[in-house]
Amino acid sequence: MSGTDYSYDGEGQFFPYFILTITSLVTLPVTYSWLKPSKELENTATRIDSGYKPEHADLIEGQRKKLKRRERRIKRALISIGGWLVIAYMVYLTIVTARLIPKIWDPYDVLGISRSATEQEIKKHYRRLSLTLHPDKAREDPSRNITKEIINDHWVDVTKAFKALTDEEIRNNYIQFGHPDGKQSFSIGIALPKWIITEGHGKYVLLIYALALGVILPYTVGRWWYGTQRVTREKILVASAGKLFREYDNDQGETGVVGVLSSGEEFNDVLKGHKADNGLSKLEQKVLADSSDSSISSILSKKDRQKLEDLDETPRRKVLNLLWAYLGRVELGDDVLNDEKFEVAPVALRLNEAYTAIALAYGNTKAVLSAYHTAQNLIQALRPGASPLEQLPYFSPEVVKAAEAEKSRNHLTIQEFMRLSADKRKSRVVAPGLLTDSQYKTALTVASKLPVLHVEKAFFKVLGERFITPSSLVQFVVKCRFIPPGTANVPEVKASDLEDIDPDEGDVAANNGRKEDKSGEKPIQPPLAHAPYFARDHAPRWHVFLADSKQGKIVVPPFSFSTFDKPIIDESGNSTYNVQTLKMQFGAPPQAGKYTFVMHMVCDSYIGTDTKTEVTLEVDDASKVEELVEEDEISEPDEDTIAGQMRALKTGAAPGKPKKKRSDDDSSDGSDTEGDVDSESETDTDTDSDDE
Amino acid sequence: MWPIPSIDWLALTIPIAYLTILIGSLAIFSSLYRKRKAASAAALEPWFPPHLQRNIYLSLLHQEDPKVPDSILKAALMRRATEDIHRIVQVRNAKQALQVLLQRGSVGDDLWQRFQHAEREIEEELKDVVTEANAFAPNWGQIIFQSASEMAQNTLLRDRLSEIQSTQAAEKEWWEKRKAAIQEDFMKELDEEKKEPKTERSDDDAVLVEGGGPAVGAGRKTGGKKKGKH
Repeated sequence: MSGTDYSYDGEGQFFPYFILTITSLVTLPVTYSWLKPSKELENTATRIDSGYKPEHADLIEGQRKKLKRRERRIKRALISIGGWLVIAYMVYLTIVTARLIPKIWDPYDVLGISRSATEQEIKKHYRRLSLTLHPDKAREDPSRNITKEIINDHWVDVTKAFKALTDEEIRNNYIQFGHPDGKQSFSIGIALPKWIITEGHGKYVLLIYALALGVILPYTVGRWWYGTQRVTREKILVASAGKLFREYDNDQGETGVVGVLSSGEEFNDVLKGHKADNGLSKLEQKVLADSSDSSISSILSKKDRQKLEDLDETPRRKVLNLLWAYLGRVELGDDVLNDEKFEVAPVALRLNEAYTAIALAYGNTKAVLSAYHTAQNLIQALRPGASPLEQLPYFSPEVVKAAEAEKSRNHLTIQEFMRLSADKRKSRVVAPGLLTDSQYKTALTVASKLPVLHVEKAFFKVLGERFITPSSLVQFVVKCRFIPPGTANVPEVKASDLEDIDPDEGDVAANNGRKEDKSGEKPIQPPLAHAPYFARDHAPRWHVFLADSKQGKIVVPPFSFSTFDKPIIDESGNSTYNVQTLKMQFGAPPQAGKYTFVMHMVCDSYIGTDTKTEVTLEVDDASKVEELVEEDEISEPDEDTIAGQMRALKTGAAPGKPKKKRSDDDSSDGSDTEGDVDSESETDTDTDSDDE
Repeated sequence: MWPIPSIDWLALTIPIAYLTILIGSLAIFSSLYRKRKAASAAALEPWFPPHLQRNIYLSLLHQEDPKVPDSILKAALMRRATEDIHRIVQVRNAKQALQVLLQRGSVGDDLWQRFQHAEREIEEELKDVVTEANAFAPNWGQIIFQSASEMAQNTLLRDRLSEIQSTQAAEKEWWEKRKAAIQEDFMKELDEEKKEPKTERSDDDAVLVEGGGPAVGAGRKTGGKKKGKH
């Protein structure tokens, strides 16, 4: 026997091991990713529980479940279950076939004596065995299937075993090679069952091989590749993105944005086949009915109306009508249509994200705000220009009219409504035909739980510097608090909370901005958006951006915040009024001067909670900063300290680098916190909120 | 002489067949792929709708039977140039945004291709208009777009103006109603005051008048303005 003589796995002893390894390599990670709890914001946040059930709550719930089901990773579940079945079967096979594996040849076992037996005893035992087992003595016994050969073989074995234990040479053989006959043949096995190479099966094996390499592999790779090419970064179809871009217009308001969103290709999946135009005429009648001044038809401008009527593709027309029906909370009188009405909203929100990205690329403030407001409208199921009060449960347009009492053109926000005295508030809306007492209470609980972010202070600063120099990396710091609408005595903000103290110089991680996310602590999430009509859980996000009001352009693109660093509510559910810090970084303008920006803070889930404040960025000339630093140093008396001497050395060496010096300076008096705070207040450029 | 006495032709066909199939399939794939790509590029939707003004101008130009007078042709050319101005403004505005979006992967490649087609097309169109203009009057080509852009600006302005004016009736009506309501309230108040003096009511009304100006701005934006609560 030679080493090149491969033996195939005829009995199927090793094949299961091979399969087992391969399947577990695939199955274990897949199972992990299947069962791993999702870390998405929507799954970890708390809810605002109001107990309010809107009309058709069952349909909305049904849509919510449908979406959940789609996200449930069914493929992974199937793969991992299949994998585990295969693994179980392979384990079973190895257990069953284990008996066939030949035992290691053991002379003591063959002779049937203990390992402690001496040579004397072995010889004695061998002689005793020869009396019964010697081929001359032993009898054939056909009934027990004992033939001459078996007796002979067994006797040879016994003799070998005896010699292995007594004969010097054979004993050496046994110790060296594990067998009395010397070195045994060495065989390499292939863990494939033998039928693979048996005559006649070759072509099937080749066929499978060709199929795997020529069809399945290219197909999977191609599918993956074209799959990634089909969707954009915002996870919408490329075709939809193209349409959104084509229809984008700087000047279209929120109604226009809704019109654009209806062009998405995604709706074709929602309204498949006959659904694409079923009930369109009925739908149009309901949506454009001229019943009251809060209806959809009144808010559509002439242009928008024209656009809707000019649409000649029926599917898109239906989608747009459904969207308007959803935003107008129009009762369609047909369960199928109502169901579709709730189904289109989450899709539209996804498209709106892509639209927002496009608007941001254009950088037009008005367009971006329209996009954000459309997100609010979609989540709250309210038409553009609706009163923010309609976000509260049971607040229908009639109730809102009563609540607003003052017949102003501008609507009351929830905050303003809640600021009215309790009696006045109640007397306006609790009346026969409007709200009952319990409905009013439900609405109030919801209102008092809405997370409304109130900006306390907003300023610019450069880390570790006293002034903002041209082209430096500026941090825009917003200090704000969650103040639920209607809280009477809001505690004053502590002055210390409004300062942003730089981390220690030695803290490299913090200085590089890596500590921003507070990786050690768990970020705090506000509760999910209270959106009873929206068939999907949504975690509210706050977008902060700076705009130039004169040009109507965005200067610093939005930073989005969905988690905060301090608890928002304590254990008993009361607001903590903690001051939250939001930071965004951008490069300062290259020229010195005063820059006035408008800061916009927009929550994507609640209408009427936007904040708009003017902030001024003062960029000082680098030379001026240098002067001041020099002055600083002259007044510094501690020349005798090591740090002082070091600084003296450095200032002498590098006079042209004000920045560097400044940071040195800081390190010398790093412990002097008071000085830091002082410098802090000097740095803060003023924040003028345009109070009335 | 022959080094190999006999060739097993049958066995030789196998590698040759293998090579033919391999190379043949690759060639077929490549040609199909290219054809499909070319077809899809040709089937790309145009960026702009059909150029109506240009079509009008060209039909007028080629109308033979009653010859179209020059003044009308010139007017048609101006119209065509105005539409070109609209288009070129759109293209210029879109270019930067589209580049940003393309880099981020927010839009697809074919949109970019369509855009480039449109860009080239508009360039050709501009050249064509300039030559046409020069054919009517020497050096008109250099200023035709200047006039066209002024015309475009003017139309834009007028559209905006008419849009704003169209809301006039509704605003007026609302204000009349509002005025009537306020008057009624005052009258009521006066009546009530005669019976028993009440202060809270009038306080409320003071706010009313202040907030009730004919503000055209959307209600939404008040959230920002009224932010300072203290």
